Amino acid sequence: MRKIFKDRTLCWVFLASLLAVAAGLLTRSVTLGGLGLIGLAVLALRRRRRQFEAEVAPVSPVPHPPAADEEPDPPARHVAPTDIDGLVGEMLKQDRYALLLRRQLVGNLRPNQRRAAREALEQHMALVPEGEVSLGGGDDGSGDGREAPPPPPPPPAKGTVCRVAGLFLDRYQVTNRQYRHFVLSGGYEQMSIWDPQILAAVLDFVDSSGHPGPRFWKKGRYPAGQDEYPVVGVSWYEAAAYARWSGKRLPTEAEWVKAGSWPVPLSSTSHWQRKFPWGDTMDRERCNLWGSGPGRVVAITEYPEGVSVGGVYQLIGNVWEWTTGNFGGAGDSQGRDLTLPTPMKSIRGGAFDTYFENQATCQFQSGENPLSRKHNIGFRCALSLCDIAGGVHASDPAEADEEASLTEGVTV
Amino acid sequence: MIKQGTLPLDSYRMAEQAVQMPCYICGTDNTYDAELCRQCFAPMALAHQANAQKVSPKMLAAIGPSGVGKTVYLGMLMDMLARQPDRLQMTARGAFSINLQQTAASALARGEFPTKTPSEPDRWNWVHCQVRAKGDSRCLDLIMPDMAGEALLEEVDHPNTYEVIHPLLSKCSGALIMIDCTKLQTSSLDQDYFTMKLLSYLAELDENPKQSWAKRPIGLILTKADECEECFLDPAAFAQARAPGLWRQCHEQFRNFKFFATGVAGGCAYRVRRDGRVRVPLRIEPRGIVEPFEWLMKQVKA
Repeated sequence: MRKIFKDRTLCWVFLASLLAVAAGLLTRSVTLGGLGLIGLAVLALRRRRRQFEAEVAPVSPVPHPPAADEEPDPPARHVAPTDIDGLVGEMLKQDRYALLLRRQLVGNLRPNQRRAAREALEQHMALVPEGEVSLGGGDDGSGDGREAPPPPPPPPAKGTVCRVAGLFLDRYQVTNRQYRHFVLSGGYEQMSIWDPQILAAVLDFVDSSGHPGPRFWKKGRYPAGQDEYPVVGVSWYEAAAYARWSGKRLPTEAEWVKAGSWPVPLSSTSHWQRKFPWGDTMDRERCNLWGSGPGRVVAITEYPEGVSVGGVYQLIGNVWEWTTGNFGGAGDSQGRDLTLPTPMKSIRGGAFDTYFENQATCQFQSGENPLSRKHNIGFRCALSLCDIAGGVHASDPAEADEEASLTEGVTV
Repeated sequence: MIKQGTLPLDSYRMAEQAVQMPCYICGTDNTYDAELCRQCFAPMALAHQANAQKVSPKMLAAIGPSGVGKTVYLGMLMDMLARQPDRLQMTARGAFSINLQQTAASALARGEFPTKTPSEPDRWNWVHCQVRAKGDSRCLDLIMPDMAGEALLEEVDHPNTYEVIHPLLSKCSGALIMIDCTKLQTSSLDQDYFTMKLLSYLAELDENPKQSWAKRPIGLILTKADECEECFLDPAAFAQARAPGLWRQCHEQFRNFKFFATGVAGGCAYRVRRDGRVRVPLRIEPRGIVEPFEWLMKQVKA
C-alpha cells in the first residue's frame, strides 16, 4: 500500500477507484461501482505480482556462493546478453563448460575461452571409452559380502551385454556449491529445462523453509561448511533439470557400470569386469559405507583410494546416484521379478548408510521413486562424446586438431 | 549279540540328574538335561548359564503385532552392535544367542525379510548377551526373546494361553513396543488398538505397585519409518497425530516412555511367489536402530 502512495499515478487511480465505488453505492449505479471495483482489483493484482516477482526473481549467479547460514546473498551482477565475454566467464564459473563446448556454441568462443572450457572439462570429467559392458550378471546378490574374495583368474562377466558409446562422466558427484549456482540462476523457474510431465510438481521442490532448492537446505542455502559435499535431497527430476542446465545429462545404467567396473575384453565374446572400481575385493578403507565412514555424507574429495581406473571418485559409497534407467519390471539386475508400489528410477553405488557390501558393488541396482528427495541420494552427470564438438566436425583445422586431442584414445 | 562291559558309577552325575533345575523364566522345575522348559518351552540354557556364571540376567521384551518387524529389529540390532561396537558392546552368551542375528542378517543380505516367527514358543529364538556401554565398566546381562506376534495377540486376548509370556513380561525390566508406522499412515487403527491392548495387559500384570509397569521404561518404536519420512522428524508428534489412543494411554498409565522411529530397508517392493505376494527390501540402510535400545539400557541401569 505504501508503494501505491509513493507512485503519484497509482495514488490517483486508487483515489478515483474509491470515489467510483462510493459514488456507485450512493447512486446505485452498477457501472460506476463496477469500474471502481475493477480499478481496486487491478491495483491489488499489481501488488501481488510485485511481491511474487520479488520472491522468485532470478538473481545473477556468483562464482562461489557463500554457505554461511546467516550471510546475506551477494549483490546481483547482471551480465548483459550482448556481453559474450561476461556470459562465457559466468558460465565457466558456474561449471557449465559442457554447454560452451557444444558444437553450436564452440565456434563463437575465443581460443582462450575454448581452452578454458576444455581444461574445465578435463579437470571435472573423466573419459569413459567406448565398449561393451555386462549388466546384471556380475553379482548374484547372495551372501553378505563377508566371504573370502573369489580366487584368480576372474570369471568372465555374465549378464546382458550392452554397447556403450564413449562419454565423459563427472569425476565427482554434483556438490552443494555447484547446485546453488543452478538455484541462484533461477533453475527452478526455467520451465524449458524441466520434464514437461513434472511441471506441476516443480513448485513442491522446496527446501525446509519453502524456498526452491534441495530438501535439506534452508532459505536457499546449504549448511555452512558443506560446499564440497554432494547435494542430496533432490528428486530425479531436479537432478535431470540440473544436468540439462549445465549442458549435460544423467548417465545411463550401462554408462555408470562401465565407468565403475571398467570391463577388459578377454576374447571377442567375453570380457572381465571389476566388482568394485578398485578391484574385486571390498576394501572398506576406500569407500564411505556403513561401518567404514563417519556415518554421514562426506566431501566429494574424500576416499581418493576408491577412484576408478578412469579417475571417477566415490562411485561406491557416500551417496546413491540417480541414473536414467528405470528400475524393476520384468526382472532387475538381481534377477528378481518385482512388483513396485510406484514406478522407480534406478540408483547405483550405495551410500554412507548402506549396510551390506553386496549392495555396494558396481553391478548392484536399487530403485527409488523419482519424486523422492532422500538424504542419501545425489547424482553425477554425463556428457556424450558426440554431443561436444569433435575433430571430424570442426571447420577450422587448428580447432580440429585441438578437439581431436581431447577425444584421443577414446576407442578401445 | 550283546556286548558286556563295565560302566563306571558316576554318582555325581546321578546326583545332578536328581536335582531339579528351575526354569529361568517361569520357575518350573525341570530335569537337569532338559533342553526346553516342560512348562513354558523357554530354553533351559538360560537357567544353566545364569547358574554357572552366577549372574541374574535382566530381561527385555520386544513386543508388537505380527509383521511389525520384531525379528528384523532385534536381529539387525544384534548384528550392528556386533559389527560396530562404538556405542554399545554386545557379546552373545551361548551359540543359540547368535541364531536370531544370523537368521535376520542372512535373509536381509539375500534381499528378503526373515520368515515369520512361528507361534510355537519352542521355535522362538532367544538371545542371552552381555551389554556394556562405551566408557562404562558395568556390564549388563540381558535376555531377549523374539516372540511371535500371533502368540502375543492370543495371550492378550486369552491370558495364560502361552505359559511363557505372562512370567516373562512380569519379570522384564523394560520393553520395546513396536508399531508399524506405514499402517498408521494409512489411517488404519488396528496398530493403535493392538498396542493399546498390549499396554493394558502390561499395566495389569503386576500386583506389587513398587514393581508395576507404570514405572518401568518403555520404548515405543515406530517401525518401517523409511517409508514415512515425517516419522523420523518427530516420532512423538507423529504418534500423537496418528495413534491418539495410544498416545493418551501412554501419558495416563506410564511414567517412563519415549517414542522412536526406525527403518531398516531403504525401499521396498513386492515379489510374487507361489505362496503369494511377499514384501522384499530393495536395499538395507538401518536408521534409528541403536537409539531405542541405548535409551532403554540407560533407563534399566539407572
